[in-house]
Amino acid sequence: MADDRPEKILAALGGADNIVEIEPCITRLRCELEDGSLVDEAALKALGAHGVMRSGNVVQVVVGPEADTIASDIEDLL
Amino acid sequence: MTLRVASPVAGRVVPLSEVPDPVFSQAMVGPGVAVEPDRTAAEVVSPVDGTVVTLHPHAFVVATAEGAAVLVHLGIDTVKRKGEGFSLHVVKGETVRAGQAVVSWDPAEVEAAGFSPICPVVALDATAEALGDLADGTAVTAGDALFTWTR
Repeated sequence: MADDRPEKILAALGGADNIVEIEPCITRLRCELEDGSLVDEAALKALGAHGVMRSGNVVQVVVGPEADTIASDIEDLL
Repeated sequence: MTLRVASPVAGRVVPLSEVPDPVFSQAMVGPGVAVEPDRTAAEVVSPVDGTVVTLHPHAFVVATAEGAAVLVHLGIDTVKRKGEGFSLHVVKGETVRAGQAVVSWDPAEVEAAGFSPICPVVALDATAEALGDLADGTAVTAGDALFTWTR
């Protein structure tokens, strides 16, 4: 992906230091975070996320079918 | 044009809102229907003619030449099965016909492992108004029409 969306999504998740694991699942990024409260939900939605589901430090960001690509781009940034 | 979207599995068609996952029940990635599958081992078939653009053991997306992409998800949270119980018949990027086998699975096994085997079939990035003739409430076999998608 040529745009800077993965970088911005990573920032909205609290940055690389906050990521324990990111796993793509077809339509969403399942993110296990050090601190779920650092997530900027409004920023994720502004970046095109269809929805954000939080359960403590596990946050799922619904990004649509590009999830696989976005996740691997984020992995490259970690 | 109007695209006919076929059921990937045999079972009973239910509204997407009955799927126990907000991504699907709130139609976050698009409208569609879900199929509560018959609890027998079966081949899951492609809902449309197109290219397999995304492929996981438990889910796949087929995009038509016109760019209409249909998501088939086999069960809920089944990514956690890590492919166990799913046997792929195609590779990513392969051209498939509607009705062609994509993956084999056993909904009964998925259910026994503690997961809902319900299968959302979603018209990605479509509007709800674009779908018609939804087969809600009916019994279908794999390949039967689930809905039409006007684009």
